[in-house]
Amino acid sequence: MNKHINLLLLAAENLLRHRTKTIVVCLCVIAILSPFITAISISEGIREQSLASVEEGGDLYLTFDEFGRNTSVPLKYLEEIRTIFGVKKAVPRIIGRAYFQNKLVVIVGINKEDIPDSVSCISGRMFENPNEVIIGNELARHFHLRIGDQFSMRGQQRKVFTAAGVFTPDSGIWGASLLFMSFKDAGELFGKPEVATDIQIYSIPGHNSEIATDLYSILMNEPYRLQDKQIIELFVKKGFLLKEGIFTALYVVAFALGIPAILVASGFGLSDRRKEIGIMKATGWNTLEVLELITFEQLLISLLGATIAILLSIFWIRVFNGIFIGQFFIAEITLLPKFTVPSKFLPLPFLLSFFFALLLTMVGSIYSSWRASSVSPVVAMK
Amino acid sequence: MIKAEKLCKLYGAHTKHKVQAVEEVNFTIPKNSFIILKGPSGSGKTTLLNIIGTLDRPTTGKVFIDGEEITTFSDIALSSLRRQKIGFIFQDFNLIPRLPSWENVTYPLIPMGIPVKERFTKARSLLEIMGLEDRITHAPEELSGGQQQRVAIARALVNNPEIIIADEPTSNIDEETSAKLLNILSDLKHKGTTIVVATHDSRFNEIADETFTMKKGRFQ
Ligand SMILES: Nc1ncnc2c1ncn2[C@@H]1O[C@H](COP(=O)(O)OP(=O)(O)OP(=O)(O)O)[C@@H](O)[C@H]1O
Ligand SMILES: [Mg+2]
Repeated sequence: MNKHINLLLLAAENLLRHRTKTIVVCLCVIAILSPFITAISISEGIREQSLASVEEGGDLYLTFDEFGRNTSVPLKYLEEIRTIFGVKKAVPRIIGRAYFQNKLVVIVGINKEDIPDSVSCISGRMFENPNEVIIGNELARHFHLRIGDQFSMRGQQRKVFTAAGVFTPDSGIWGASLLFMSFKDAGELFGKPEVATDIQIYSIPGHNSEIATDLYSILMNEPYRLQDKQIIELFVKKGFLLKEGIFTALYVVAFALGIPAILVASGFGLSDRRKEIGIMKATGWNTLEVLELITFEQLLISLLGATIAILLSIFWIRVFNGIFIGQFFIAEITLLPKFTVPSKFLPLPFLLSFFFALLLTMVGSIYSSWRASSVSPVVAMK
Repeated sequence: MIKAEKLCKLYGAHTKHKVQAVEEVNFTIPKNSFIILKGPSGSGKTTLLNIIGTLDRPTTGKVFIDGEEITTFSDIALSSLRRQKIGFIFQDFNLIPRLPSWENVTYPLIPMGIPVKERFTKARSLLEIMGLEDRITHAPEELSGGQQQRVAIARALVNNPEIIIADEPTSNIDEETSAKLLNILSDLKHKGTTIVVATHDSRFNEIADETFTMKKGRFQ
C-alpha cells in the first residue's frame, strides 16, 4: 500500500518537475475535450427542457395533415371532441412566429385558463382584455418592454398589443422568446380565426384508444393526424440524437486531427525520460514499478485535463452562453432574442472525457516507457 | 562472491564499427574483498563493471553472484537483485535532473514503500557523511561535479548493498573528499561489503586485496 502511495505522490511531483510537458499535454486534452463536453451538455439541457414541456402538454395531439405535414385543425369539431368520453380537456392552440422589430418571436395563442402551470407572471398580471399579452422575461429584457407598454406586430394583420405581464418559464429556452396572447387575438393576428395549429387533448388515463376510435367516427372524412405523447417524446429524442450524431461525426474529425498533437505532446522530452527510467532501473526499480509510476502520471494529468475541460465548458456556457456550439443545436439562435442556452452536466460525459484523455496520454507514453524500461539500464541511460 | 566465466561483450555486432570491449575474461571476486580495476581509457573497465553490476548483459559468458547464474535472470529478477545487493556509482553520476539531492539519494527506496519521513532522515544522514548537509535540497544543476559525485555515492549506499561497484569515483572530487570516500569504502569493507572499483587513484592500492589490470578488453 505504502508503495502505491509513494508512487502516486512521486507521479504528482514528476508532473510538477516536468512542468512544460504537463502544461502542453493538459492544453491538448482541454482543447479536444471542452467542445465535446459543452456540446453534450447543451444538447442534454435542450432535450431535458423539451421533454419537460412535452410532459406538461396534452396526452394526444390532434392536427390535420397536408402533404404529409401537420397543418391546422378547423375549430368546428372542437365541441364534439369535448363531449367524447374520457376527454378531460381539449385545448386549441395557435403557435406561430412573427417578427418583433428584427427578431423572431414565438407567439402562442391560448385561452388564459389553459396556460401551462409552468408559466406564471413575475410582474404585472395575466392578460384579461383583448389585445393584452404576457411576455417572456428575456424577451422583455431584450426589447426593454415594461408593463403597460404598447407595441405593434405584423402577422397577416398589423395589430397593437399591450404588455400586461412578464413571466419566467420553468423550461427556459422556448419560453425566453415566447409571447402568450388569447386564442382569439392570435387568430386575428395571423388571419386565421377558424382554425387552431393543434388541439391538445388531455385524457383520463387508459382512455386514449377509445378516444382515438371516437375521433375516427367524428373526423372520418378528414385528413387528420393524431399523435400521442410518447410519439412526440420520441420525435424530440430522435431529433437530438440526430444532432448529437452529426456533431459527434464532425467532432471525430477534429478529434482525429488532435490525436497527433497529444501524441507529440506526450512524447515531448522523451529522451530525458528515457534516461531517467534507465537510472531508476539501475538503482533497483523494476519495470512494473516504472510503468505504475507512468500510469499514475497519466491518470493525474487526465484527471486534471478533464476537470479543467469541464470547468471551461461550464464557463463557456454560463458566461459566453455556449457561443459557436449553441448554434449547432438551436439553429434560430441568431434570429431569436438573446436567451440563456440551457445545459445539463451529466457525470457520464465527464467520465467518458476522462477515459478519452487517459487513453490518449497512455498511448503516447506507456509504449515508449515500456521500451525504455525493458532494455538494459545502460542502454536506456545513454 | 562474484564469478565470471569467459565473459565477452561485443558492441555494434551488426554494424561496421564492431568493438570487442570485453574478451574472454575469467575472474573470481571473493566475498568481502576489495578489488581495483585498472587499465587505460577504452580498455573495457566500464563495460565490465556494468556487466557484473547487472546493468548490461554480456554477449557471451556467464556471471555468478553468490552462486546464482545471474546471466539467466529475468529483467524483474535482475531489478530485485540490484535492489537487494548492489550499489552502483557511475562514472558520470547519473543523477535525476531538477530533483533535490535528498530525493535523488532515496529514489531507489520509493518503490519499496518507505515513507517520506524515513527516506528524508536516511538521506540526511548519508549526505552528512558525504559532507553535504548544506546541500540537501539542492538539485544536481546547483551542485559542482564533486558534489554531484558525492550525492551519487550516497545513493549507492542507500540500500545497504552487499556489493558496491564504483566507476572512477574519485575522478571528479578533491583530495580531501577522496580521502574521505576511501575511508568510507574501507569501513564498508570491514563491515563485510564486497567492493569493486575502477580507478587510477594510487591511494586505493593500500586497501585493495587484489588489482585486475585490463588492456583491450582482456585481463593481464
Ligand atoms: N555503447 C557502446 N557502443 C559501442 N562501443 C562502445 C559502447 N560503449 C563502449 N564502447 C567501446 O568499448 C570500449 C570500452 O569502453 P569502456 O567504456 O568500457 O572503457 P573504459 O575502460 O571504461 O574507458 P574510460 O577509462 O575512458 O572510462 C571502448 O573502445 C568504447 O569505444
Ligand atoms: Mg569508463
